[in-house]
Amino acid sequence: MNPFFLLSILIFLPLLGALILLMFDERNAEAMRFWSLAVTLMTFGFSIALYFQYDPAQGMLTAEVKDWIPTWNVYYRLGVDGISLPLVVLTGLVSSLAMVASWSITKHVRGYLILFLMLETGMMGVFLSLDFFLFYVFWEVMLLPMYFLIGVWGGPRKEYAAIKFFLYTLAGSVLMLVAMLMFYFYSGAKPESFNLVALADMASKGGLLSPNMQVTAFALLFIGFAIKLPAFPVHTWLPDAHVEAPTPISMILAGVLLKMGGYGIIRIAFPLCPYGAQYFAYTMVAIGVISIIYGAFAALAQTDFKRLVAYSSVSHMGYVLLGLAIWKINEAGDTINSSYWQMGLNGAMFQMIAHGISSTGMFFMVGVVYDRVHHRDLNKFGGLMGTMPLYSGLAAGLFFAGLGLPGLCGFIGEVFVVISCWSFSPMLAILAASGVILTAGYILWAMQRVYLGAEYKGPHPEALTPSNARENAVGFILLALAIVFGVAPALLFNVMEPSVKAMAQAAEAGYKQSASQLNELQAQR
Amino acid sequence: MVGETLRNLLMIAWLLPLCGFAIEIFGGFWGSRKSRLAAWIAVGCIATGFVCSASALLIWGRQNEWVVLDKAGHGHDEAGHSEGENHAAPGHEGTAPHAEEHKEEPAKAQEEKHGSVAGSGSYLLTSMEEAKADQTAKQTVFSGTIYRLATFGGLELSLDYYIDSLTLVMFTMVTFIATCIHLFAMGYMSEELTEEYVDHHAHLRNGHHLHRPGRFYRFFAFLSLFCFSMLGLVIAGNIFQVFVFWELVGICSFLLIGFYTERKSASNAANKAFIMNRVGDFGFLIGLMVIWTYFGTFRFGESHNAEGQVTQAGLFQMLARDEAGNVTKSAENGEVVIGAAEASLNPVNSRKTIPYFLLVVAGLGVFAGCIGKSAQFPLQTWLPDAMEGPTPVSALVHSATMVAAGVYLVGRFYPMFVQEVLLTIAYVGCITLFVAATIAVVATDIKKVLAYSTISQLGYMMLGLGVFGWGAGLFHLVTHAFFKSLMFLCSGSVIYGCHHEQEMPKMGGLWKKMPITAFTMLIGVIAISGLAIPGLINLSTVFAFSGFFSKDAVVATALAFVKANPAHFLLFIVPLITAGITAFYMFRLWFYTFAGKPRDMHVYDHCHEAPLIMTAPLMVLSVLAAFCAVGGEKGPLFLLITGDQPGHVAHGISATNGLTLPGHDAIHSVHGQAGLLALIAAVSGTAIAWLLYGTEKVNVAEIKRQLSGVHSFLANKWHFDDLYDAIFMRPMHIAGKFCAWFDRTVFDGILHSAAKITVFVSQWDRKFDETVVDGLVNLVGNSTWSVGNSLRTVQTGRLRQYVMFIVVGVVALFAILITSFAG
Repeated sequence: MNPFFLLSILIFLPLLGALILLMFDERNAEAMRFWSLAVTLMTFGFSIALYFQYDPAQGMLTAEVKDWIPTWNVYYRLGVDGISLPLVVLTGLVSSLAMVASWSITKHVRGYLILFLMLETGMMGVFLSLDFFLFYVFWEVMLLPMYFLIGVWGGPRKEYAAIKFFLYTLAGSVLMLVAMLMFYFYSGAKPESFNLVALADMASKGGLLSPNMQVTAFALLFIGFAIKLPAFPVHTWLPDAHVEAPTPISMILAGVLLKMGGYGIIRIAFPLCPYGAQYFAYTMVAIGVISIIYGAFAALAQTDFKRLVAYSSVSHMGYVLLGLAIWKINEAGDTINSSYWQMGLNGAMFQMIAHGISSTGMFFMVGVVYDRVHHRDLNKFGGLMGTMPLYSGLAAGLFFAGLGLPGLCGFIGEVFVVISCWSFSPMLAILAASGVILTAGYILWAMQRVYLGAEYKGPHPEALTPSNARENAVGFILLALAIVFGVAPALLFNVMEPSVKAMAQAAEAGYKQSASQLNELQAQR
Repeated sequence: MVGETLRNLLMIAWLLPLCGFAIEIFGGFWGSRKSRLAAWIAVGCIATGFVCSASALLIWGRQNEWVVLDKAGHGHDEAGHSEGENHAAPGHEGTAPHAEEHKEEPAKAQEEKHGSVAGSGSYLLTSMEEAKADQTAKQTVFSGTIYRLATFGGLELSLDYYIDSLTLVMFTMVTFIATCIHLFAMGYMSEELTEEYVDHHAHLRNGHHLHRPGRFYRFFAFLSLFCFSMLGLVIAGNIFQVFVFWELVGICSFLLIGFYTERKSASNAANKAFIMNRVGDFGFLIGLMVIWTYFGTFRFGESHNAEGQVTQAGLFQMLARDEAGNVTKSAENGEVVIGAAEASLNPVNSRKTIPYFLLVVAGLGVFAGCIGKSAQFPLQTWLPDAMEGPTPVSALVHSATMVAAGVYLVGRFYPMFVQEVLLTIAYVGCITLFVAATIAVVATDIKKVLAYSTISQLGYMMLGLGVFGWGAGLFHLVTHAFFKSLMFLCSGSVIYGCHHEQEMPKMGGLWKKMPITAFTMLIGVIAISGLAIPGLINLSTVFAFSGFFSKDAVVATALAFVKANPAHFLLFIVPLITAGITAFYMFRLWFYTFAGKPRDMHVYDHCHEAPLIMTAPLMVLSVLAAFCAVGGEKGPLFLLITGDQPGHVAHGISATNGLTLPGHDAIHSVHGQAGLLALIAAVSGTAIAWLLYGTEKVNVAEIKRQLSGVHSFLANKWHFDDLYDAIFMRPMHIAGKFCAWFDRTVFDGILHSAAKITVFVSQWDRKFDETVVDGLVNLVGNSTWSVGNSLRTVQTGRLRQYVMFIVVGVVALFAILITSFAG
């Protein structure tokens, strides 16, 4: 298929579907749901087609560039490589599954579905844009539907959670906007000035920003993306947003939206400011480690089931930051132990996908019981293994995936990141490794309180009916994927590895250029 | 190719239980609750696995003409010599297996390879010719890659296999014992074959017992999953793979301990087991990180390409040792040299040297994992709690196989351990064996006694390995697996017969009711106590059951070690005394349960012998528990285990500074002495037990009362649980609460106060606007107001309209985009 058509349809098919939804009879909720499901499934199908069309050896698969706002040098520039492709497929998958989970939404169905599909457009756009301005537009496009989805269809404190989410993300995107303008004007406001590939190319030759400017730009970008990731200490929007959001939206939030932070770092922040990235490497690894430990501790203390899973996301995404940033250099500015950094980068990318599967699954599993008994108090559960055996089995599998059990996807990401970390900093590596104990603690204690035990202790015990086919299907698909990626991680690594390697090498070259510029400057003084 | 045949056979044995698991868990869930099909599938899988493992062992033996057993005739001194040739001897590391590889190749390929390696130095050639000339240098170690997980630059992670005599013995032992236990469990778990199982240990709030559908199939599915994980651990050809299966056996253990999920005590015990294991695994991970960073590979053995040529050295080849058995240090910086004999074989990312302390860290890290898994001090407390699981689980997972995995790993990873690590292992084992044995003396739950006994015996194994008795420790592993699984199954038979009564004070005199169980149990008790009838002429012709020989080997090694390093005399004294304690508490258990008069007539009257499907495994296992170690250290089992022992073990390590580790000769010279002392200890322990519990002349309750302080200290398990609760669990929860509080008050507090300030500022701003600015621009404002008024119709508060606006907005945005294509 023509890449231009394929990439564009991935982005705009959901939006088109949303427009067509307006023609449906508003009372016929079931038809609208099926239509939306069909749209998300088609989008997923196209993302699979893209997967088969993409050849890992070719690097970036780019589409034809079209003018958009030529006077400002803004172009409609799309492309996909080994870094974004897995995330595109993940977006397609999680959206479809979240749509299946959306059957439980009964309020304002049409508005919900329209916003949902727009959200998918925004997410796809973020992962497929190669023009910084276009990326920024999609980033904002995704923000608004999310705001309304939480603010209207959410739980009791929905307004608070929605506004918190909105303000946090907006603060991040303002910082990103500043950085974007820095790149634009320092590269001469030329037609290439929003082109991420061209900018990265300039940066790897040392021709984009001066080292000091890179530090500033990287800090701006990093804060913006770290909010999204979310990393300690800018993570507090996440528990509230998750707790208040309806189940399918939590799935999307955990499964896809958090990955945009990691994606932004590896797609924009690292290639465009390699010097800044290296400058902050230790800080980032430290933040990653703190996120792992802090998130795990906070999860340990929660009594709200969903809040616990939300904090587990903070902990798990800490591994992403850790893996991305273990970039070590020597005095001469050469990268040492590059293989370990590449392992960390790949592990971080893998962890994003793995978390997209396990966390989506965990939120879904929480939603299944919430739909039945309408509470999430961990101390008022118990005995679900007896009343809902199949559901509990599937849930146990997905929680084990989150726990990082070998053979399931969570293990590969976590362990690859952690064992490659020693060559960067033994102390941080040890701290990160201690996360395995805490993770086991909060997951097992949560499972014990919910699934094990002699009987259910909360309200509405009569509502605990065995899971239906729709719920089982979602659980089975996610668990099967967790096993597939846990057993055959090469499926992902084969796609990611060449692109990640190219990125790492470009960043290494860029750092060396910037460092020598800095040395020259100092020598002149 | 023999290597491939062996690999295929063992892989069948390994993967069949996984297939079994998948069929059992789904088939059972949708099938009938009364069907035994799941059990038969499980038995079929594991029994086939046993046949495959045993044939693999036979093929392996025929291929090398049972070279390891020949040593029996040569006596001790030569045995050590030929073993050195077979495996990575110092300096030969990496090259000896080269030569072995040639045996498989047709002559032509051999010629070529000669050419390719000849350039690397004459040393290599001579050693190769030596190896060829030596008739004993048959290939006994086979390694290779099964499956690649990922490659990054020069780093590669894969699933490998590493097959030597230890692997084969472990495979055969595990599959055999597992088959017996599967059969036993078919009888033991038969109560679960119902739609309405009543769990008498799970209480509901209304005071009733819990009723639930039976879960027969699930038990066997978990057992199959466990067998798969355990065998994967044994076949693993790299340390990362060991870690993978290490975690998997851990989760199987979790599932099986918590099999009665409705019981709070069971799920607590399961969580405790998994989390304490994770504490050990945290150390394991640190060890992995050091190895990965410095060695750049996880593989034990060499990697081969498709033509069978060696492409990369493994860990065991990269840590070279000098003539005295010490690791070689670089002259430049004093760090330990890493590298294969042929430098080109080093993995791309390996460094040239590693600081000595990091080598210690790596060893201690891996050993930390073993501490967790093998329930060694200080992580021993999970194992007694794990007795919440059904008894066949205790027999298989928590005595014979999984908990022995820690010992197995120490044995497997032996070439990487330096003296400091070995000394730590010895002391950890020494403390463990003593602490656990003392607790076993006061335990009254029949399974708890066996659990503490298991911990104590695992301590013996660790001690044996730590004092350089590589063969002794692993020998004890295998004999212990037989007699301890036997005793656990016997206790299972008692519990089954007494309708789930586990407290020994309620038993007594059961031998009349269950003679087979009592008799087989007695064999196990004698075996573990190490009783023997010495030969008249010399001690080497003793008649004894398996436990005597293996414990004797451990104690003898400890004595040789202590003679070489007198400062560490406790390493001999403590195990010797504990040998007496062991005999005491084991005979106490037997007398308490089977001898004397019945103490609870209700239990006694309803007690009955188990059916044949349960007693048959008992009888089979009792034969093996009695005679598997026949011949002692010249018998086939010991020779088979030590067939591929690490090269530096035979000669010991003579250090100039630091520890001297005894070689075979040193151990042999003290063997008789140590054996005699151990036997005296065992006999006295037995005698005291008989006096206190076998006869009714001594009032045990009176002794207990007089020593009540000691008794309660021991009965409270040395207060380890309270200690860990105070220093780990509570701080952990407090830290958790603190983090949650910090989030809510500090981070959100900052956010909220920022929001409040903003609101305040804007209020002030509004006031300013309304009074000052508005006054000036009132005129303009009026006109603006009219515009605003018209816009108010838009702000309807109706959601659907908002959504519409957003859609129109987005569509308009992209409409610009589309129209701009034209231009």
